[in-house]
Amino acid sequence: MEEGGVNVIDLTQGDESFVKELEGLGADELRECIQCGKCGATCPMALAGLEFFIKRIVHAANLGLRDVLLEDSSVWGCQSCNRCVEICPMDIKPYEVIQALRRAAIKVESCPANTYEGLRNLYKFGHAVFPKGFEERRKKAGLPEKPPTALSYDELRKKYQEVLKQTILEEIAPFPLD
Amino acid sequence: MKKIGFFLGCNIPFNRPDVEYSARYMLNELGVEIVELEGAACCPAFGTMPSVDLVGWAAASAWNLSIAEEKGVDIITGCGSCYGSLNEARYHMEKHPEIKEQVNKILGKVGKEYKGTVKVWNFINFLYEEIGLDNLKSKIKYNLNGLKCAVQTGCHNLWPSRAYPTNEDNTFYPTRLREICEAMGGVAPHYSTITDCCGMGALRSAASEKSLALFKKKLDVIKEELNPDVTVTGCSSCLLQFDAGQALLVEQKKLDYKIPALHIVQVAAIAMGADVEKATAQASIPLNGVITKIKGGN
Ligand code: SF4
Ligand code: SF4
Repeated sequence: MEEGGVNVIDLTQGDESFVKELEGLGADELRECIQCGKCGATCPMALAGLEFFIKRIVHAANLGLRDVLLEDSSVWGCQSCNRCVEICPMDIKPYEVIQALRRAAIKVESCPANTYEGLRNLYKFGHAVFPKGFEERRKKAGLPEKPPTALSYDELRKKYQEVLKQTILEEIAPFPLD
Repeated sequence: MKKIGFFLGCNIPFNRPDVEYSARYMLNELGVEIVELEGAACCPAFGTMPSVDLVGWAAASAWNLSIAEEKGVDIITGCGSCYGSLNEARYHMEKHPEIKEQVNKILGKVGKEYKGTVKVWNFINFLYEEIGLDNLKSKIKYNLNGLKCAVQTGCHNLWPSRAYPTNEDNTFYPTRLREICEAMGGVAPHYSTITDCCGMGALRSAASEKSLALFKKKLDVIKEELNPDVTVTGCSSCLLQFDAGQALLVEQKKLDYKIPALHIVQVAAIAMGADVEKATAQASIPLNGVITKIKGGN
């Protein structure tokens, strides 16, 4: 879509197999959408001004616009807040469409770098969010340097890694699972 | 004595351990025994496993849930993402036995099993239902002395309600956190953007400026309609936005006022006599006025 240009969707770009793929990845009610716009009216992505917010995303997904959806970063700005799920009169579960899109994007490595960073941290430390300097912060709050989580128990962390190795992470992770 | 498994997640132990300290202090004062969920990992947060695969998400969540099951306790968490992710994964496994079966195949390889017996609480619903407002009131040393609170329940503490074991009567008009603040002697009126998102989370990572602009809109309404002493959140991510995010807006000269921000467990812990230095160790916006007001109450 060119800036300032006419907002035209080329329907010949639609790919039916992409709709099917999304259905298989969790967006199983996708086709029931009536484009009422309720999800969009409550979506923080729309309020924040992201060009592709949930109503348009569901529409584009229904049209099978694979390239548009995998190239646009909006789906990664979704807050997972589930307002759309709560409010959708057709029970599409629009947020699950977002998840399906992300799952499709990851398969073709079309996702932001921080997604991989989160996954790497999750695998390595057991924590997706793992900011530097936490030991000092914990001491200041009168707590031991490490929390009693997977981070503190090597054996348990290894077991947790074994769990993750049996998931799809083994196939899609662009970092070694060892 | 009531027991509860304290699920820490990531943001609380690593970014805001003052919330962890406060939660521990508060639960202790309330006579609730904390059971450590040794080996628990990330919930996992929405941008990681849930965005990769449904079964993988459920397996990573079930790892955590099974730790609580082994210890025979329910779970409590102060982070909305943890509350959402654990409960949603649980919901998916309940709805789709085949997912649970696959998860147990995975967990079985490391000698674990997920049964589906554990309940996941957040602090708002736990204080409201399990502790009770009168009981809470009886446990505080300093009442909030009319402290005006603008509450932020947090998206994940409200939706998707189908996945949650307990919730507000009307999730688009939440009152529980307001009632909790008022039970401790605060004033917590409704305001028009009470259910608006704070902009933290994926939006903050994907479109930082837009996220902060969205947050500023909410803050401006809070300032204009309530002009509160403090904002009180039910979620650690909201706290990060209301505190550090707000400080960033001030630094960027996009905001010309400051409203102190606390998580509800910090407010309760301070009211119960916690060490204020520890309970607010990571606060970016100065809290002096708030503490003075609370300490002036009795
Ligand atoms: S609320 Fe549901 S039916 Fe309406 S536009 Fe959104 S997804 Fe479609
Ligand atoms: S879950 Fe995502 S798509 Fe749905 S309302 Fe929230 S931000 Fe919008």
